[in-house]
Amino acid sequence: MTIAFIHLHQSRRAAWCAAWLLLASAVLAVCGASVGSTGFDSVLRMHGDPVAWQIVWDIRLPRTLGAWLAGALLGLSGAVAQGLFRNPLADPYLLGSASGAALGGAVAMALFGVSPVAAQWMARIGITGMAFLGAAGAVVLTLILARGVQHTLRLLLAGVIVGVVLGAVRDLVELASPDILQAMQAFTLGSTAFVGWMACALMAVVWVLCSVVAWMLARALDGLTLGEATAASLGLPLMPMRVGLVAAMALATGTAVAQTGLIAFVGLAAPHLVRSIVRVTHERHIVLSSLMGAVLLMAADILARWLLAPQELPVGVLTAALGGTYLLWLMHRRTAQGGAL
Amino acid sequence: MKPTPVRRILWVIAIVIALGLLMAGLARAQPVHIKDDKGREISLPRPPQRIVSLLPSLTESVCELEQCHRLVGVDRYSNWPEAVVGRLPKVGGGLDPSIEAIVALKPDVVLMSVSSRASDRLEALGLTVVQLEPKTHADVRRVLGTVSDLLGVPRAQGADRLWRVIDAGVEAAAQSLPPKARNARVYFEVSRGPYGAGEASFIGESLTRLGVRNVVPASLGPFPRLNPEFVVRANPDIIMIGNRSMQAMVPYPGWATMRAIRENRLCVFGPGDSDVVVRPGPRMAEAARIMARCLAEKAPPESPAAPSPSPSGGGRTQWPGKASSTGALAGATPVASTVGDAGAGDSCT
Amino acid sequence: MNSVAISARQIGASIGNRLILQGIDLQLPAGRWTSIVGPNGAGKSTLLKVLAGLLPHAAVQGEVQLLGRPLAQIPARERARQLAWLGQNEGSADDLTSYDVAMLGRLPHQPWLAPPSAADHAAVEQALRTTQAWDWRHRPLSQLSGGERQRVLLARALAVQAQVLLMDEPLANLDPPHQTDWLHTMRALVDAGGTVVSVLHEVSLALQADDMVVMAAGRVLHQGACDAPATHAALEEVFDHRIRVRHLDGLWMALPSLERKNNQGNKGLEA
Repeated sequence: MTIAFIHLHQSRRAAWCAAWLLLASAVLAVCGASVGSTGFDSVLRMHGDPVAWQIVWDIRLPRTLGAWLAGALLGLSGAVAQGLFRNPLADPYLLGSASGAALGGAVAMALFGVSPVAAQWMARIGITGMAFLGAAGAVVLTLILARGVQHTLRLLLAGVIVGVVLGAVRDLVELASPDILQAMQAFTLGSTAFVGWMACALMAVVWVLCSVVAWMLARALDGLTLGEATAASLGLPLMPMRVGLVAAMALATGTAVAQTGLIAFVGLAAPHLVRSIVRVTHERHIVLSSLMGAVLLMAADILARWLLAPQELPVGVLTAALGGTYLLWLMHRRTAQGGAL
Repeated sequence: MKPTPVRRILWVIAIVIALGLLMAGLARAQPVHIKDDKGREISLPRPPQRIVSLLPSLTESVCELEQCHRLVGVDRYSNWPEAVVGRLPKVGGGLDPSIEAIVALKPDVVLMSVSSRASDRLEALGLTVVQLEPKTHADVRRVLGTVSDLLGVPRAQGADRLWRVIDAGVEAAAQSLPPKARNARVYFEVSRGPYGAGEASFIGESLTRLGVRNVVPASLGPFPRLNPEFVVRANPDIIMIGNRSMQAMVPYPGWATMRAIRENRLCVFGPGDSDVVVRPGPRMAEAARIMARCLAEKAPPESPAAPSPSPSGGGRTQWPGKASSTGALAGATPVASTVGDAGAGDSCT
Repeated sequence: MNSVAISARQIGASIGNRLILQGIDLQLPAGRWTSIVGPNGAGKSTLLKVLAGLLPHAAVQGEVQLLGRPLAQIPARERARQLAWLGQNEGSADDLTSYDVAMLGRLPHQPWLAPPSAADHAAVEQALRTTQAWDWRHRPLSQLSGGERQRVLLARALAVQAQVLLMDEPLANLDPPHQTDWLHTMRALVDAGGTVVSVLHEVSLALQADDMVVMAAGRVLHQGACDAPATHAALEEVFDHRIRVRHLDGLWMALPSLERKNNQGNKGLEA
């Protein structure tokens, strides 16, 4: 890193970072439309062949866009989680939302086969809806256990407890109906295969909403970096701001997990990747993390569809590989330079 | 003057033939109304000509109803009959199919199991999805009927005929059992866990029809996960292992003392036989035959106290009608290595 | 200046089940620099937090008034503009640049969602120059030494430009030149009309303030001018006469008493 680059004003760097991420998104979107089991032909034959058109327009594009939006939601949640808990290892699943979503999905799948009455009602909500309800319910349970958002450590502990307990309940459900085991595995590994335009619209709305809320409340995260007492002394109404941030985080995570399953590592890695490029206050950090998460998941999804075409790899494996490799390289570079991690 | 009778007769014959063809054609092109396992009514203007099947038992049903030519794509686990299905494009697993590949095949209908999320996505893309998942003998019969109706095959020639064949096959297998095998107590392990096949499952029902007793009672459900202790206490006469993997090589702790293990009354079905036995489809008669063969081989003699030497002798045994590979009999060897050999192919040592 | 910046009446505070402060009555004059000293565990930090209104209401009895108004009734942002607080060992914003950290001090002045104004930038620049942290304003805190980091945090507190400044151990990690700089800064602030209250364990530096509050075991033992003999006596007493206060080069200093321990009964020996 040259001295000039270091002294370049951080906000201009942040703007450049955002621009590059958006450009990368556009390029990857085009790639995403070209990759799949039928290869690039579908794009070329798009205008003549209605099936090719349907493949590109109705299947590939919503998947690609859905991957971008899910990654954006996870990146956003990850940045908020790391700010709220003041812990660089925090990820959006800390409040138990992952276990809750998996439990919701498992219950939905188990009930489908058992009771036609439940099946009818469930058909309206769908597995997606049940997974979202599970995630939201888990977060509410965590908040109740922690008796509010005031104490970060208690919140963390409660989240871990809820995650473990709900995971155990899910195991029991799977034991009771072992034929859902394979389907659950597919769910936990994560995939964008079931994302259509409706799902994209839903995720887009939630993303905009959560981004706005998080951006407005980003001050609380900045203040919290100085410590709770200092943040309070700066006049920040910490309690309501924390509640708002937790709600935004839960909504974003629940939506992403319900649509694409449990994709690990995006929420954890995206804020770190952003921080390795530019250091800004949370208002911009959250937006940049969101964009970074979106690009990360989009790239992973395209690779997942392309590497072993026509077969698909689980996208969670690739996000871990991509994000983990970059972080490893970063760590190696930092320790080589002798700086603090 | 009256027209000549010959011309009149010719006209009548022509009209009758035309009507007959019309009826036959109409019978083919009748609109289709069925109800799938999720309770949904599905109507099609004519029987589907391009079918994608995502469940091996449904693939086999379609082929047994002699409509194999209508299949355009199957899941990766469908593998019978080899000649036809082997050449069809594979569109991923039953639970995680490649949506794009299915759409690219332009199917009229997609057959899949009940427990799959892909159904919503496929329907959103405008495809017709029929979800069927048989779990018991009664289910298999019903599903055969549904598939028959869907394909426009009249029940008399389709589902009912097939069911009679299956039924007769199972009955014949039951008849073929030597007396010593009746009332033997059997444990069927479906997969490592151990997950057993209870009386309520289709495997259990087949075993019941064969006249043997299942150590896993119906009260535990169709495929309960058992404590290995339960099996030791139940002390079955014969153990059947129906999974495709090599897991049979590692026995559970404490099982070595079981009489069935000591006396090598163990049947490990290789990949080919395994597929037949664990699919609730039209090959249930063959499944019953395979199980009957195992029972005949491995059943204890009338007096359980008499030690029975394990069947030794070289040579290969070619089972009638089976195209699978043969097994190598290993003689009087310890359980582990015998079971290991068994994993190499179709064998019931 | 006779007005009172902060007045505390019958303050009691407990953390958990432990009673930290009891029966504190304190009037901190405006426009003067007061330092609070006492042995470890005397409750100095807790007292400062009570005066800043940072302990939960349930844990505090008694009433605190800031500039004549009850603290509990002042809206949070207004209080934040009038009172700046610098804590001890609070979390560190490792990833932000020094400039951004100092800018956080302007939060009480910035309207909701507004970007920093010219006045904000000016205040931050002035604060950073005052603590000599301007040269590395673009370096993230994680790359600074302990002393440099403390100066950035001091700049953050100065950037608030509040009338009352409460500081808990502000000289942690600072080397002597910068400690001296800090003294000058505080003096300048007070001369300009502000009020400074600092908890210090460097007794000599605490003696450079205008007034001193001596605490022990959760109670205020003495409050008086820093050059009053009564204050010096109280100071020596609270530290078990292990120090002696002497006048040196025009400044009051606290020197260690190097007599042996078994001489503790005697009051200061050498003149």
